[in-house]
Amino acid sequence: MKRAGIGGVLIAVPLALALLGPLFVPEDVTRSAPFMPVGLLGTDFVGRDTWHQVLAGGQTVVLVALLATAFSYLVGVPYGVVAATARLRLVDELLMRPLDVLLAVPSLLVLILVAAITGQGLVVLVGIVTLVNFPDVARLSRATALEIAGRPALEAMRMQGESWWQTSIVYTGRSMLRTLAADLGVRLTAALYLVASASFLGVGVPPGAADWAVMVDRNRGGLFLQPWAVVVPALLIISLSIGLNLVFDRALRKVRT
Amino acid sequence: MNLASYAARRAALGLVQVLAVVTLVFFLVEALPGDAAVALAGDNPDPARIAQIRAAMRLDLPAAERFAQWLAGLPRLDFGESLVSGRPVAQFLFAGIGPTVVLAVLTLVLLLPISVLVGVLAALREGSLLDRALTSVSVALHSIPEFALAVVLIAVFGVQLAWLPPTAVGADVLAEPAVLVLPLVVLLARPICSISRLVRAGMVDALESDYVRHARRLGIGETRVRFAHALPNALAPAVQQVARTTDWLLGGVIVVEAVFVIPGLGTVLVDSVAARDLPVVQGLAVVFAVTTVAVNLLADLVAFRLAPRAEVIA
Repeated sequence: MKRAGIGGVLIAVPLALALLGPLFVPEDVTRSAPFMPVGLLGTDFVGRDTWHQVLAGGQTVVLVALLATAFSYLVGVPYGVVAATARLRLVDELLMRPLDVLLAVPSLLVLILVAAITGQGLVVLVGIVTLVNFPDVARLSRATALEIAGRPALEAMRMQGESWWQTSIVYTGRSMLRTLAADLGVRLTAALYLVASASFLGVGVPPGAADWAVMVDRNRGGLFLQPWAVVVPALLIISLSIGLNLVFDRALRKVRT
Repeated sequence: MNLASYAARRAALGLVQVLAVVTLVFFLVEALPGDAAVALAGDNPDPARIAQIRAAMRLDLPAAERFAQWLAGLPRLDFGESLVSGRPVAQFLFAGIGPTVVLAVLTLVLLLPISVLVGVLAALREGSLLDRALTSVSVALHSIPEFALAVVLIAVFGVQLAWLPPTAVGADVLAEPAVLVLPLVVLLARPICSISRLVRAGMVDALESDYVRHARRLGIGETRVRFAHALPNALAPAVQQVARTTDWLLGGVIVVEAVFVIPGLGTVLVDSVAARDLPVVQGLAVVFAVTTVAVNLLADLVAFRLAPRAEVIA
């Protein structure tokens, strides 16, 4: 109980900042010299107010992670189910083998290469994180669907002449829900990790953007002068990932017991 | 199935995997926008000169032919030449491998004993305060992005307290081991959590199993039951995770190298992608693919040796 409380607080602070923060950023950007102790947290590498940047910078990280996770499920689950329920063994192999290759390439290498080909942009970032994350979802869905397809209940439904929709979508989908939900936390933290690391390496978001990970990278030069400009966004990202892990781990335990 | 035939089968599979990854990366890299010959011609974009550069770099040949030539050179460690500097790609790779391997080996040397110890401790006191504390911490720390952890550590220990050098700029790793402390801590944080959790789970299962109960009934000492009978079985699932970690250490620590300015393979990768130096990127991909497959092969063999069961073979 206590741990969910801590986890909840750890999620709530960065999430509230990320979602509500942009509302409190004043329209006109006041500029002063870089890394000066002006305002709440001083100024950043181009003289913008760090506190305003922190308020505005959570949105991209959180939204891209959420969207990429949603898309990995949208692509991965049907992919895995099709592979599992295919009549021909060959279809299954054709669908799943390429994923093994994808999983054998380091994910940051894929990320850097694809970003170099397609250019920057949030859409690209969502796409790449989806691409890197969906093989895991597809594998899990395939394994789960295979197990369900062998159940006597499904065989009985088929013999009763239930429609394809009833057997393959309604029953299989409902049975898979629990396993997939249990996996959600892992996917979400993986997505957050990749999005933040990618932004830090300068993939996806322009270098001047208000983004926590970009702030950490760009303000590193002023670490001796204005450590807050680096430490605050870094701590927000850390707090978000710790909170997500604690809350989902607890939820997982509840599901299992 | 004995170890030798299992090894042979896995090695053959690994070779196919390497070829697939290498092919994929070659054509991905081919798709990178921008013409290297035009970029090299620079201030002198004379068509004749561009054609000359193109012929010198064999860019005028069809992709399939270049792929075949490049593939044929690989067994001789001939990865072609860098487009930017004209030096052989192998030189870049050898320069980058040193720091990366030093970091990876040091991390593994610290990682294995610590994570096994933490996992076994938690499992032996299952349900106790120590177990719950260790489990909570490892769950919490499991997926913190390295760069965030790294900059916070640098800010605290490198800048505020000034105990440790904040980066490894220009430092000789062997002469100044202090520069490695912070990178090692950052590299250890995630793997310790994941591996110790697996060891704990495996150990809890093993201690409750029938064969351990049987060994106890036979009157074998508790220490021996724990460490000679239960532990090897508990380690089998963790071996796969150690393999993934090793693989990551040898190719994926781009972020840590960037933060601490360590001139390893990750830095070479970032630089070469930024400079559109395609042969270097392709060479790196080969190195990464080979290490991935080799490490996984080794892990499967170790797991097979530790717990020769049917599901390991499948």
